[in-house]
Amino acid sequence: MNKDSRKWFIIFVAPALFAFIVVVLIPVIMGIIYSFTSWNGIEDKANWIGLSNYIEIIKDDKTFFSSFLFTAKFAIVSVITINVMGFVLALLVTRGLKISNGLRGIFFLPNLIGGLILGFIWQFIFTKGFDFIGAALGIDFLRGWLADPTTGFWGLVILMSWQMSGYMMVIYISGLQNIPDDIIEAAKIDGASDGQILRRIIIPLVSPAFTIGIFLTLSNSFKLYDQNLSLTAGGPYNSTEMIAMNIYNSAFKYNEFGIAQAKAVIFLIIIAAITLTQMYYSKKREVEM
Amino acid sequence: MKRRKLLALTLAMTSMLTFTMTGCGKSSEVSSNDKSEKNGKTEVNIFQFKVEVAKELENAANEYMKEKPDVKINIETVGGGEDYGAALKAKFKSGKEPTIFNVGGPQDVEDWKGKLEDLTNEPWVGKVLPGMLDGVTMDGKVYGLPFSVEGYGLIYNKRIFQAAGIDGSKIDSYAKLEEAVKTIDSKIKSGALKKDFPKLEAVFEFPAKEKWVTGLHTSNAALGQEFKSSIDSYKSKTVDFKYSEGYKKLIDLQANYSPNGKSKEKLNAVDYSTQVDQGIAIERVAIVQQGNWIYGGVKAIDEKVANNLDILPMSIQGGKEDCIPVGIPMHWAINKNQSDKSKAAAKDFLNWLYTSDKGKDFVVNKFFFIPALKGYENYKPQDSLGKAIQRYIEAGKTTPWVFMGYPTAWGENVLGANIQKYLSGKMTWDELVKDSKAQWESKRK
Repeated sequence: MNKDSRKWFIIFVAPALFAFIVVVLIPVIMGIIYSFTSWNGIEDKANWIGLSNYIEIIKDDKTFFSSFLFTAKFAIVSVITINVMGFVLALLVTRGLKISNGLRGIFFLPNLIGGLILGFIWQFIFTKGFDFIGAALGIDFLRGWLADPTTGFWGLVILMSWQMSGYMMVIYISGLQNIPDDIIEAAKIDGASDGQILRRIIIPLVSPAFTIGIFLTLSNSFKLYDQNLSLTAGGPYNSTEMIAMNIYNSAFKYNEFGIAQAKAVIFLIIIAAITLTQMYYSKKREVEM
Repeated sequence: MKRRKLLALTLAMTSMLTFTMTGCGKSSEVSSNDKSEKNGKTEVNIFQFKVEVAKELENAANEYMKEKPDVKINIETVGGGEDYGAALKAKFKSGKEPTIFNVGGPQDVEDWKGKLEDLTNEPWVGKVLPGMLDGVTMDGKVYGLPFSVEGYGLIYNKRIFQAAGIDGSKIDSYAKLEEAVKTIDSKIKSGALKKDFPKLEAVFEFPAKEKWVTGLHTSNAALGQEFKSSIDSYKSKTVDFKYSEGYKKLIDLQANYSPNGKSKEKLNAVDYSTQVDQGIAIERVAIVQQGNWIYGGVKAIDEKVANNLDILPMSIQGGKEDCIPVGIPMHWAINKNQSDKSKAAAKDFLNWLYTSDKGKDFVVNKFFFIPALKGYENYKPQDSLGKAIQRYIEAGKTTPWVFMGYPTAWGENVLGANIQKYLSGKMTWDELVKDSKAQWESKRK
């Protein structure tokens, strides 16, 4: 019996392990090796230069630091907006309204459109649609969106919230539906108000869903690239350039593959640290039924 | 125990696989040799970036293959909005190296030097117009065949100028340009042009979002008088901004007389299509700073407008005021690491395309290129903008494209970004010049 299960273990795990090693582990190791070289991405040979790439990034590269700050700011704001919106939408469609199923479809739909296309659609809305409404109603605030860093930032936040909150909604729906009706009924009989039920019963019980939701949005916001590219392309004056784009630009625009790899390694460590900390604390908060 | 063995086995397998894969990459010469003679035909793989001519290039290749049945030409195009440079690197890394690909200026030649075939002894080299090989000549060797000549300037709508009572062909200095702009502006504001051009709302449209327009092209009007060629700018450790005032005036003029003249930071969201497709093509504005490549796009929207376009000089006050910058956007290059047969066929194809009668017909009448070679007396550009460029070339009123020799990404990500800061009031002109100079030097040290 034991021997048998070991055989099955090998048969099932080996293909996945093999794929993981070939497409994840080896590229990561190669990437780390390249980060110690001055490779330009074209030549066949790469010169070993030790830690100088890392030193240069930390000492001289102001753009990396500023795009990191921008990305962090964006991640914090969008994690809040996406999860709040996703949760509110989930509450809305689990109330047993007749149009619930239709609403679910509509809210989820933006998530099915590719990020690049979404970026262009919203670029049109911000620069043309907003401008037109602003001109017609005489509201100057609506004109010239994406032309300065502030509107560029909020443009990205709006775009991402619109796209991702439908996806989070699906996760929260499954969380909400796992709450047994009898608990809520009991609370009602005991005279708890809707607000109390939400705060004391629903939110603690869906906290596993929050763990997943916050993890997904956090790592997605940090890694964002295509929406950033098509909405603002980092403009104006590179002020909305997020970290993934910064890395891509060093690699392909400045032909500094070594530096780009070093940035990617730093980025990997930071993201891993942030998301693991988040997972640790959220897990601690989860309540067992 | 067993689990550990399994891990070891998997690791061994993967490392073997990696070795064999690298092995393949190393022996690409041999394998491409085999491949290039598949079915007894010599294969030539072209990886090029000009989307606009992709289809006609295919037709030209078919025409060529009729003459040379033992050659098979495959064309792949990546360009337009996509990043050709990145795609080309990926293509080379994938092991399927193309035979013919494109290189821009001196920086590209330097980067790709290990892959470039020496083309100095090709028959077309002697026919290239003076100065047009500067960007791909290194240590006395020629590495590329110029695609075509392109030029840009202040493209204007002749009908609007006529309606405002201005003869565009007389404008040959900054003072005259400014006067003409002011005249048109006052006529737009007084409503005198409203009847004929209901959509007209400003003189210029200025796409500061497109950093290549401001950082590469506008700046070249000034720096093209400071440096003699792209090699010159490529080798220079410093930049002086000798004509900084003239450059500033040209930018201010375009920004101040644009629809966002009163809130210039909004220009940072104006892009190419707002400038061209929703600008000059629908007669919403009278002048845009662009090049002869916009002809096809404007023609697709309004042929009458397209045929009434002409080009004003990029006047830099204090420097040359009646010239436009003209240069070679891209070159054809051949990959050194291919089989001799395939390289010979590639050379022959390029030579055929640019020097045979059939090839010339394709180049001028199908691709709408302005050739950089002699021997095209019977093949003149037909479109309004091509004709205008030809006129400037014949009159000798051109300045070179030196932006190909700017430090990597300096033009767009430093200067272009600084101009966006300048327009939004976050940087004064003096700071812009100082910062751009310092960054040039730090990239060239």
